[in-house]
Amino acid sequence: MSSVLQSILSGILVGAIYGLAALGLSLAFGVLKILNVAHGELIMVGGYATFFMFTLLGVDPFLSMAAVFAILVVLGLGLHTFLFRHIVTLDEENRIKNSLLIGFGLTLILHTLAVRLFSADDRSIFTDYSTLAWTVGPVRFPAVKVAGLLIAIVAVLLLEFFLTRTYWGKALRATSEDWVMASLAGIDIRRVYFVAFALSAGLAGLTGVLISVGFSINPSIGLQWTLKALIVVVLAGLGSIPGTLLGGLLLGVAEALSSLQFGGEYREIVGLVLFLIFLSFRPQGLFGGRHA
Amino acid sequence: MLTVTDLQVAYGEIQVVWDVSFSVPEGSIVAIIGPNGAGKSTTLKSIMGLLPLKAGEISFRSETIVGAPSYEIVRAGLVLVPEARATFSTLTVLENLELGAFSERARPHRHETIGQVFEIFPILKDRQSQSAGTLSGGERQMLAIGKALMAKPELLILDEPSLGLAPLVVERIFEVIEEINRQGVSILLVEQNARLSLETAHYGYVIELGRIVNEGKTEDLLQDSRVQDAYLSF
Repeated sequence: MSSVLQSILSGILVGAIYGLAALGLSLAFGVLKILNVAHGELIMVGGYATFFMFTLLGVDPFLSMAAVFAILVVLGLGLHTFLFRHIVTLDEENRIKNSLLIGFGLTLILHTLAVRLFSADDRSIFTDYSTLAWTVGPVRFPAVKVAGLLIAIVAVLLLEFFLTRTYWGKALRATSEDWVMASLAGIDIRRVYFVAFALSAGLAGLTGVLISVGFSINPSIGLQWTLKALIVVVLAGLGSIPGTLLGGLLLGVAEALSSLQFGGEYREIVGLVLFLIFLSFRPQGLFGGRHA
Repeated sequence: MLTVTDLQVAYGEIQVVWDVSFSVPEGSIVAIIGPNGAGKSTTLKSIMGLLPLKAGEISFRSETIVGAPSYEIVRAGLVLVPEARATFSTLTVLENLELGAFSERARPHRHETIGQVFEIFPILKDRQSQSAGTLSGGERQMLAIGKALMAKPELLILDEPSLGLAPLVVERIFEVIEEINRQGVSILLVEQNARLSLETAHYGYVIELGRIVNEGKTEDLLQDSRVQDAYLSF
């Protein structure tokens, strides 16, 4: 019984990061109608930024969060300017196709660069509070990962606030629903696209921080995180921010329980099975609206 | 105020608008009537910068707007109410109206303009926190017009405002159009409902198969035997 509870908890803790990764991916997908398969590589860059700020400059990873977010926002603005900006004027079908090509290209470049610059070694951040944990009854709560969960929840609330309460956020939602109508409403959708992509990259950075401090990073983690994010987006559907986090938690728990039941080697399969089931029977996802 | 000269528009190889010329003088209501598929919506899309022109010139307040992005055209005061009651269905009525005032010239006045829109369409005030997707067809058309008014238009273009609406609602919409015009906004009305638009407008154009085939003062067009046979007889 206690191992089941512990599994559920560790599923929730890793699931929060899945949710955060998916949030960035679905923001770009929802607003720009592009599928950025290099989202995982942006997460990897965020992880390395955190790692080097810690090892070279001695900055605490939780303090470097704002800086990593900013670095990724700037990187996102650059990537959008040089790459994605040119395809968002196409019709939606061609946007998706071309974004896949650009995304895969970017994936290869960032991965190779990371191997050359940082080597293929696994890296993780070890602080004096890394082993800190609380034990409640039979369950052990690792402090760093619990902090990750809290940060993911705060990020979700802030994003939800931005999208529903601010003028630019509303413009993002309007553009996501119908970009032609948004431009007819006088919305400069090119600027909306910039904001959405930069924010998506910033969220990738945040995800990278949590991975580098709670788990580990290496140049090859990108694909794995893109895949998790994609599964969560399909699971949760587009359009609901809290729903996306919930979808992440669900995937985390499903993985943890299945690896407890069938062994760790089946852990990766459960997500893919869920992916297929949802695409076949509920393509709009659990929380997706009609526009998914 | 708006002058379109020798407009040619094509979708790939297929040209759908040929040598279309018309103008909307300041303060007037101009109607373009014609059957479905005559090129009316295509013409409007190219005016709003959503479709590239093959050739021709479009000027608003004596300045060319060819090649300008839609948001700049809206900012200049040229606002389109698209057909099919276009509203953001996942957003609330109030959010729809707020976003209508996105352009710089309208945004500072948005609270005041919302008051005016609620005066014209009191039903929108009652429904302001509902999402637009839950409105009836007539209410959505009112919201679409209200959203366009939020942009503080100098020229308001309406694409098929009567399409699919109950006669009483259509009557109300056309009353509102005349009211908006009396407040100094020029109107370009593009309609299949020929009788109602010719009775509302001052000047009219007839478009068929992508070409302007007839034009004149609306009282003359209403008497014109070809117009009567094609559009006014039932």
